[in-house]
Amino acid sequence: MGRQGTSLRAYILTRFALAVPTVVILLTLVFLLMRVAPGNPIQAALGGHVSPEEIERRSEAAGYDRPIIVQYGEYMGQVATFDFGTTLTDHRPVTDIIKENGSATVELSAAAFLVALVVGVSIGLVAGRYRDTGWDVGGRLFGIVVYAAPVFFTGFLAQLLFGDVLGVLPVSGRASPETTFAVGEQTAYTHLLLVDTLLHGDWPEFWDAFTHLILPAVTLGLLVSGVMIRLVRVNLLQTMRGDYVEAARARGVSERRVVIHHAFRNAMVPVVTVAGLQFAILLGGAVLTEETFNWPGIGSELVRYLNNRDYIAVQGIITVFALAVVVISLLIDLVNAFVDPRVRY
Amino acid sequence: MSRRREVGFLAAIAVAASVAVAGCGTSESGGGGTIIRGTIDQPVSYDPAGAYDLPSYDGIYAMYQNVMTIPPGETNPVPEAAESCDYTDPKTYECTMKDGLKFSDGSTLDSKDVKFTFDRNVEIASPTGGSSLLANLKSTEAPDPKTVIFNLKAPDATLPFVLTTGSAAIVPDSYPADKLQSSEKVIGSGRYTLADYKSGEQTVMQKNDDYTGDDPAENDQVIVQYYDKSSELKLAVQQGDVDIAYRSLSPTDISDLEDQEGIEVVDGNGIEIRYLVFNLDLQPGTSDAQKLAIRKAVAYTIDRQDIADRVYNGTVEPLYSMVPQGLQFATEAFKDTYGESPDTDEAKSELQKAGVKTPVDLELWYTPSHYGPASADEYAEIKRQLDDSGLFSATLKSTEWNQYSTAAFTDKYPQYQLGWFPDYPDADDYTASFYSKDSFLNDHYSNPQMEKLLAQEKASTDDAERTKAFDQIQQIGADDVPTIPIWQGKQVAAVQDGVTGVEDTFDPSFIFRYWLITKD
Repeated sequence: MGRQGTSLRAYILTRFALAVPTVVILLTLVFLLMRVAPGNPIQAALGGHVSPEEIERRSEAAGYDRPIIVQYGEYMGQVATFDFGTTLTDHRPVTDIIKENGSATVELSAAAFLVALVVGVSIGLVAGRYRDTGWDVGGRLFGIVVYAAPVFFTGFLAQLLFGDVLGVLPVSGRASPETTFAVGEQTAYTHLLLVDTLLHGDWPEFWDAFTHLILPAVTLGLLVSGVMIRLVRVNLLQTMRGDYVEAARARGVSERRVVIHHAFRNAMVPVVTVAGLQFAILLGGAVLTEETFNWPGIGSELVRYLNNRDYIAVQGIITVFALAVVVISLLIDLVNAFVDPRVRY
Repeated sequence: MSRRREVGFLAAIAVAASVAVAGCGTSESGGGGTIIRGTIDQPVSYDPAGAYDLPSYDGIYAMYQNVMTIPPGETNPVPEAAESCDYTDPKTYECTMKDGLKFSDGSTLDSKDVKFTFDRNVEIASPTGGSSLLANLKSTEAPDPKTVIFNLKAPDATLPFVLTTGSAAIVPDSYPADKLQSSEKVIGSGRYTLADYKSGEQTVMQKNDDYTGDDPAENDQVIVQYYDKSSELKLAVQQGDVDIAYRSLSPTDISDLEDQEGIEVVDGNGIEIRYLVFNLDLQPGTSDAQKLAIRKAVAYTIDRQDIADRVYNGTVEPLYSMVPQGLQFATEAFKDTYGESPDTDEAKSELQKAGVKTPVDLELWYTPSHYGPASADEYAEIKRQLDDSGLFSATLKSTEWNQYSTAAFTDKYPQYQLGWFPDYPDADDYTASFYSKDSFLNDHYSNPQMEKLLAQEKASTDDAERTKAFDQIQQIGADDVPTIPIWQGKQVAAVQDGVTGVEDTFDPSFIFRYWLITKD
């Protein structure tokens, strides 16, 4: 027991230690890539309108002419103190982007995750339970199609069908312009629109925000559900072959109870692990969905700042993404190590 | 039994979901006095010292006042926050401020705020700001609360126009002197106050009941909603999420919307232009005479009307001078010199006289998205016109804007696409910027006669003198052909039925006057 405890401690310390260089390497890569790409924010905004000399003067004033190593040192120093600076193109504190737009991405990702879980687990369960039947084939085919279809294509189809043809759902934005204004900074607690409107009891605004969330959440959630369907099905089939399942059947337990209470629960253990990782990936993978649905998340802001070559904004946003993914995967690894004594270095 | 229950459960979920979503519909645009405008243009800063872009100017014109402004439908500046302004000598411009002006925080607007505005703009020299417009401003004085004196380094007839720009909007002296004010905390004296600003999402402005100037707002509230793509903007106006979709709908979007019930497409005179630049060092030709002949031949060959009709579906107009129609002093020098339609015989004659062998290899560069999604089609059409003449063999090349905007001005591209959006609606901004030997184009064009005329028009406040100078400038520009104007864009918007006033704001000043817009 003492030997196992020491090993777990060593594992935890090692994981923490490995997280640091992971983040540093990623941030360094982002820094270098942004500098290598042609142009800078001033060139992007004013090229073709003012003289190259004027652009150079403004670029010098903004400090772009300083040695790369100086800029890098300043950047890493700011990251270490969680000072992500102010964007160059629209003078916005990066922490505001993370707070306001990050919450939009979290809201979308959480809703998409819920969709993925509900759809993925239920279809995976049915497919595994009714193996080699039409339900199984249909479930697997559905999983492959939703996973393979590009999210912007699925989103576009959804917009056409539900927004244009049927006209029953809004296709763009996080809320209507009026609701966005109504749930303003003065009333925002969590910056999660559904939560804030609920806290205020603003039912029309809540419904408006909810309906705006449906299409992007379902689009993104279906993509991830494709992974979950396959995972749940495979794990369920595996657990249903287990001796304890046979034993349960032999004791006369109903097939339904065997599946739900015995096989399914054990099948979900690895699924929980993967689901956690999928959520981390969702945060980053929401970019395409946000672009498709004009969802004001941190992903769409990243695209905008990338197009404008806004180093500060891109570096800050990527830092947050990196930290979020590293923290989530670290937590999952730690939980796994705690639960499963075989997980050690 | 268990299987039937499972199926029934799933069916119940589906029915419940259908009922839930059927109960909702798409949102309707703002009722009462609220105007909602959708756009893909996003502002950089609502601090005039940090703004040098049209989206920022749109908000600034609504929330602040300027010393001078351009009235709807006109092109010449008139006093706004000032009672009167005039030159006391060629390098001194003196204004008398109006009484009783107040900022939205209740403080008085007087000459010290004007001095503060210009001093801080130059001091901050924001990388995204328009301090370069004030390069000729030596100092600003406020000898008493009603008097402002602008001292210039050199005579400059364009100062009144500069004073109308968003970068010159008047701010209170409570703004920080050495850094930009947050865009979420605007204090202006304009027709609107800022109610809310969410970067990337929306700007909300409310009517300023304490506004004392001309043309108070005819609506109570304006919401400017931002979209990432023109396709989303089109969907938004189709679904009624916005009252007005302006900047920027693609030509095909506009064509679709023209047939849409409940939506009207309105347009007006615009002064945004597109043109082709020749780098005189890199272009084909072994002598100056041959190079000029090639440029003239291209000018004879391009069919502007074809481009306007086939590529842009009539949302642009052929342009026959670097100074667009609608501006004072504009002529049609290229039409006078090269004709309204292509003339391949004349083009051939120019090339033959100069001993140029045909077909001439021409490398045409464009950038696919910065100047609109139709750029590729536009240059494909230009290539077709040049190739079909038999006199040219055109090759198209393109790069994204960030690389293009550096390469074009550093001797990488022999012939390339550019666009121009004015700082102010004066012919000087369309001539000095392109024809001066110090032009940002870096195209190696230089003509001493042109330099002399440019200096003359800039220094003179006499209309007759400026008319003569600009006539000659535009003719020399057509004769020397360092650039070829192609089209000028109309200002186009899709508006919901019942929304009026949008077309009234479409004029060469490019000031989008929210205050003129009403909704039934």
